[in-house]
This record gives sequence, structure tokens and C-alpha cells, in this order.
Amino acid sequence: MRKSLGMTLLWFVLVFAPRAEGTRYSPPGKPTLTRCRSPEKETFTCWWEPGSDGGLPTTYALYYCKENSDAVHECPDYQTAGENSCFFNKNDTSIWVNYNITVVATNALGSSFSDPVDIDVVYIVEPNPPERLTVTVMEDTSWPFLRVSWEPPHKADTRSGWITLIYEIRVKLEQETEWEMHLAGQQKMFNIFSLRSGGKYLVQVRCKPDQGFWSEWSPASQIKVPEYFHQEKSVWLLVTVFSAFIFLILTWLLHLNSRSLKHFILPPVPGPKIKGFDNQLLKNCKSGEVFSTLVVSDFPPTASSNYEDLLVEYLEVYVPTEQEQLESKKLHNGCLKCEGSTSDSDSGRGSCDSRTLLLDKCGEAKEDERQKDQRSAGTDAERQQQGWEGEAMAYAHEDMVSPDISGGRVKTWPSVFSPLPQFSLHPQEQQSSLEMAKQHYLSDSLFPPGSTTSYFTQPVHSIKEVLGPSYWEFSSGSKQSDLLHPHMPSCRQLQAHSDVNISRIGRKEVPPPAGLQSTEYADIQRVTQGETVLVQPKMPQGEDYSKVKGVDRDNMLLLQREGMESDEQQETNGSKEDSCTSPTVTTTKKIHSATRIRGEMLLAANGYVDTATICSQPIQ
Amino acid sequence: MKELKEKTINHLSALSIVWVVLVCILFCSRLTSVGAASICTNSQAGCHVITLANLFDRVIQHSAKIQSFTNYLHSEFEQYFLPGKNQIGRVSRNCHTSTILTPNGKENAQSMAREELTEVILKLLLAWRDPLWQFHQSMAHHHDFNNFSSNKALEMSDMVHELRKGVEKVSEKMQKLGIISNSIRRLASPETSVQNDSEQHLMKDYDLLYCFRRDSNKVQNYLMILKCRIVPEYGC
Repeated sequence: MRKSLGMTLLWFVLVFAPRAEGTRYSPPGKPTLTRCRSPEKETFTCWWEPGSDGGLPTTYALYYCKENSDAVHECPDYQTAGENSCFFNKNDTSIWVNYNITVVATNALGSSFSDPVDIDVVYIVEPNPPERLTVTVMEDTSWPFLRVSWEPPHKADTRSGWITLIYEIRVKLEQETEWEMHLAGQQKMFNIFSLRSGGKYLVQVRCKPDQGFWSEWSPASQIKVPEYFHQEKSVWLLVTVFSAFIFLILTWLLHLNSRSLKHFILPPVPGPKIKGFDNQLLKNCKSGEVFSTLVVSDFPPTASSNYEDLLVEYLEVYVPTEQEQLESKKLHNGCLKCEGSTSDSDSGRGSCDSRTLLLDKCGEAKEDERQKDQRSAGTDAERQQQGWEGEAMAYAHEDMVSPDISGGRVKTWPSVFSPLPQFSLHPQEQQSSLEMAKQHYLSDSLFPPGSTTSYFTQPVHSIKEVLGPSYWEFSSGSKQSDLLHPHMPSCRQLQAHSDVNISRIGRKEVPPPAGLQSTEYADIQRVTQGETVLVQPKMPQGEDYSKVKGVDRDNMLLLQREGMESDEQQETNGSKEDSCTSPTVTTTKKIHSATRIRGEMLLAANGYVDTATICSQPIQ
Repeated sequence: MKELKEKTINHLSALSIVWVVLVCILFCSRLTSVGAASICTNSQAGCHVITLANLFDRVIQHSAKIQSFTNYLHSEFEQYFLPGKNQIGRVSRNCHTSTILTPNGKENAQSMAREELTEVILKLLLAWRDPLWQFHQSMAHHHDFNNFSSNKALEMSDMVHELRKGVEKVSEKMQKLGIISNSIRRLASPETSVQNDSEQHLMKDYDLLYCFRRDSNKVQNYLMILKCRIVPEYGC
């Protein structure tokens, strides 16, 4: 009774005590055969991975059966290869025979079978890595190379031909990360070329049977390549000398052709060309003659004429007189820097490199050119003045058109060309106006063509009342721009402004008054942009010129505008000149004096005031 | 003038013809001389004699080629037609060459006499002559297998035939050299015969490939053993 009681108690304890503790026992989990490997095709080993043991001590057993035999055998050796392994020795291994292997895990509660695995030993051969790897530097030739040699793993029997191994080498410099692979086939020796002088190399080798897996890499063998730089040095020396020689030849050739290259890279900028402009006359500063030559018969151009001709750059001297030719020739001779320019009456041909324009003697020569041109232009203008009835009206309207212009103006041709209303000019007035124009134009000559200067037209007579606030705003606008950018290195920026303004002006069209015939001075910008020739009266004249009311005692210009003094404009002149005439010698005072002097002339002249005066010569 | 021109033209043409003929004769003579030299028997003087080592190398190369072919075909079959590997159902594989006694271990192979080994090789190669031909036929009929494999099957059949011829030559050479005795029987027909089962063509083909792959490996191995035993110059 007690015994049975004890037994039941014991049984209860055994069964329920673990439950009471909270642990569960279960049959073992399914083991899995991970891999089987043979190092020499004579023996092989299989390893498995145990599943969960279910909390109880579990035992593992490996069973196999050979091909075409139902006999099941158990693993002969569980120890040799370590934990969870089975080692088949030579007697138990048959090559070219299919093995069916299963692992069984057993514990107190049950057992579980792994999935069976079919293997044929010949296909699972993974040899040991090759042994006795030696690397030597062979320096028989001028360029050393590495000779790598090794031996097959001692276990693999290649001598009898039982196993055939192929080898693979990998090399790299010590500091690099990428290996260079070489397949060596069945040979046990290999040469490596293209070594870096003084480099440290690491070499490894591995092997594989014809049917099987690659072995592990052998331990790396290190080798240092000796320096053979002296060999390379001679070659480099030769190369350097040769290249230096070629370089010298090239520089010499370049030097020979320097001029033509210069012209190719930096083509000379054509200067402004004005019909009938006589450089030599202008040089001598003889006012009357200068402008007389400038007067062209068909100036101002009619509506049918080509607008592009009116651009300074496009003007050609089409009636070259003898005098002009001679003078232009003289000019060219005198101008040292003007090489390669053809001698003709075209005033613009005397220009050379654009760089020299502002700085060199050629600049002075150009001035003379400009003078000449202006002279001829002035004479032309003179002739045409009578024909310009109602021009003033036109200009007035033009002025009113653009009240909010806030920039400089574009001067596409000298102020002299601007059509003037029929002012009855005294000859003296003419003279002075021409002179003024000349001076004005001189200033222009120091700018690249097309630079902006402000022009103030001065329709003296009837237009006064018509010209209104528009003028003032022009000038104020220009003044503002000047104040804002007083130190512009060149006048191109002003020009840019004026370009914009011109176009803006263009947009704001005002239907011209009846009888307006100032289409000749339509906006050049518009024409050149390929648009239809919009008959737009105004433009340059309207913007370029402001009417001078008069000159006061202090030699200050009084420009016409409603209720404002012209002093501001005076300032404008000065500042503008400052910005544009850096290369020439001008002081503010001088300029003012010049302006004043000019101002005296202005009133009597045909009404144009040139604000940008550069000619520092006193005007007689 | 005209006559003169004609005369010159005639002369030139004649000359050119003669020249062409000469060139042809020269070339032809060269070719014939080369052709004449290609056929070579042992007794002829000036013949380049092939050594036994060379023969062995050629034969082993040929066998290696066959083996690579077989591997490729086998892997293709496995990949496309039989995804499940290590199926229990395939354990009962019975290669038709299992009746041929072949050494299954290194000791067995090394302890075998050269003549026996050579005989085993020849037996194996002969045993595969017909099955491979049948295999090629079945390949051609199965349009689901690509043409490349079908061509390879045909090639394999030819190659095995050639290899057998080569091994025969090697054995002849060895006999001539006295390395092996003349006890090798000339095999005319294979000892084993294969029944043409119609059921489960694909399975049969796969088993066939498996068996052949193994047997080609055997042949290769035996040849290497022979070579390293008889002419161990290099590669052993």
C-alpha cells in the first residue's frame, strides 16, 4: 500500500512537478544535415544541426544506406570530426555510390527524423588549401617579376592521378583592397608581371578538383619588390628632353605667328564710320572745315533709305574726296599702332585694337578722325536745316511720349545728325554749334561706339512751350543713373540702360501729329532687331536733347523745363563726364568751365547741348 | 598601228596566262606535298611520331570535354524539368552499367592491373554507345527542350564514339610498346542492353544523364590513373 502510494506520488512528482515549475518537455525538434565534405575523395564527414531538444537530453544518430542496397548502417564514428558530426573512414567510403543519409534525434519523449540527403562522394570534394606557397622576385631581366610556386595539399593524392586539382592565385598590394585573380590551371607555378617598384605584395592560392568545391585560401605570403626606379629614370629623362624640345619648337613657331594669332583671337574693333568725315581736318580743330565736309547731300536720310546705314558702324564714306583720302592716309601713317588698316576715306578704318581705343596714341588719332567726321556731318546738317519744318513739333511730341524713362540714352549717331528744326542759325551760331558738336563728339570718341551720353536737344524757337516735363524727366533719369553709378568703368552700362529705355520708349507710341516727317530718326534699335520699321518719331532726338533755355551769368546752363532750374542738368553733365572720361585729363572744374563756355555758344547754336564734353582744349 | 597594238595585247595575255599557270602549279605542288605528308604511318621516314604521352593527353582532353558537356546537360535538366532534388523516389536508380565491375575506391583502382583498367574503360564507353544515341533521339522529339541541348546530345554520342576509338588506339600503342599484355579482348557489342521504356520519358532521360555523368567521371579518373602510372611526365 505504501509502496503503491509512494509510486503514485513519485509518478505525480515526475509528471506534475515540472508543470508546477512551469517548464514543458516535448519530443526533440527536427535536426537538419547541414553539409557533407570529403577532403581527398577517400573519406568524408557529415555535419548536422540539432533542432530543439525539447528540454530533455537528446541523442543523435546518423543512419545511411547505400545505393541499391536496403541495408541500413549507422555512422561508424561520431567523435573524430567533432560535435554533431559523422566521419566515414576509407573502408566505409565508396566513390561513385549514392548514399542516403538521415539523422535521428531522440529524447525521452520521442524522436524526430531529419530530411534524407543523397550524396555522391565524388561531388562533395573540398580539398585543403595548397601548401608551401613560395614567392620569389626574379630579376634576370630588366623588369623584375614574381615567381609563385606551391604544392598541392598533402592529403590529396594527385601523384597517382586520383584527384586532379586546378589552382587559382590572387595578388594585391599591401595597402589595396582589390585582389587580382589569376587562374593557373593544373600547373604549380605562376609568374606575375607588371609590378610596382618597391611595392609590398600579398599572394594567396587555392585549389579545386574538377568536380567539387574550392578550397580555402592559403595563408598569405608577403614579398617586397626591390626598387628598379633607376631603369625607369633613364626613360623618363629621355621623354622629358624630347618633350621639352618639342615645346621649344612650338613656342618658337607661336612667336613667329604671334601677330596673325593676335588678329585671329582679338579681331580689331571697327571704329565708327561717318560719311565724309575728314580726320585730318578735325585734328587741326578747324571748326568750319570739319563740318563742311560732313554735310552729305542726301542727309538726313529719307524714309526709303536703309536704316541700318544710320548706325555708326554701318556708315560708309561713299563719296571720298581727294582731301579726305589724303588726310585719312596721313592719319594712318601717323598712327603707330594702326597696323594692317587699309587706307581709304572711311574714317572708321583707322581703328585698331579695341583695347587701344581708350589708352593709346591711337585714341588721339581717333579723336581726329571723329573730328573730321563730325565736321562733314555738321556741314550736312547745316544744309538740311532749312528743310526741317515741323521737326520741332515732332520732337516735342516725342519727348512727351516717354515721361518715365529712367536711364541714359543711346547715342547711335552723333548729335550733329539729329535733325534740327528750322532754326535760323547765324553762321556764327552754326559755327559754335558745330564746335560744340565737335567737342561733344570728341567725347564720344573716347568711348566705344554707341556709348551713352546724354544729349539735350535744343530746339530754340517755337518748341519751347511744347517741350515740357518730358525733357526734364529724361535728364533727371539720366542724372539718377549717373549718381547711382558714378564710377562706371566704361559707358557700356549706360548704354545698356539706354537700350532698355529706347525700347521702352518705343512701346509707348504716341500718334504723331499730322505732318510729322521725322521718320528718318526712328528708333534704330527697333530696326536692327528685325522688326518692321515702326515709324516712330522721336527717339534719339527726343531723348538725347533737352532744350537749353539759356545761360546765366555764372555760365550755368539753363535747360528748358517747366519750372525747374537747369543746374541739376549741369551736375548731370559733370558727373557723366567724370564717369566717362577717366582716361583723359579732366577735372570737374574744368568740365564745368568747358560746359559753361560751351553754354555760351549753345544758345546761339542750333540748340543742342552736349553734356559729355571731353575736349579739354579751350574753344575759340 | 592597230596591228602592233593587237600584237602586244596578245603577247601580254599569253604571258599573263603562263604566269598564272606557273603560280598555280607551284601552289598545287605545295598543297599536294602537304597532303602527302599528312598521312603518316609509323614506318614512314620523316613522320612525326606521336608518343604515348601525347596520346594519353589527347584522350584525357577528350574525356574532359565529354564531362563538361554532361555536366551542362545534367544541370539544365535539373533546372528545368526536375526542381525537387534529393527526392526519396529517385533513390532506386539503376544505371544499366551497374553490372560492369568498376573500382569504387582509390585502393581498388590502383590495385587493378593496367589491362583490366583499360578494359573497364572500353567496356564503359561501349556500353554508352546505344543509350546515348537513343537519348539524342528522344531529345530531338521533345520540343520543349531547346535545340542547343539536342545538338549537344548528338555531339556527345559522337564524342563518346571517338573517345572509345581513341582509347582503343592508346591500348594498341601500349600493347605495341609492351606496357600491357595483349589480353584485351576486342569488344564488338556492349555487354549490357537497354530496354526502351516508353513510360516517363523525361524521368528516364534524367536518370540516363545522371548515370552517364557518373560514368564519364569514372572514365576520366581511370584514364588519369593509367596515365600517371604509365607516363607520369607531368600533370601527375
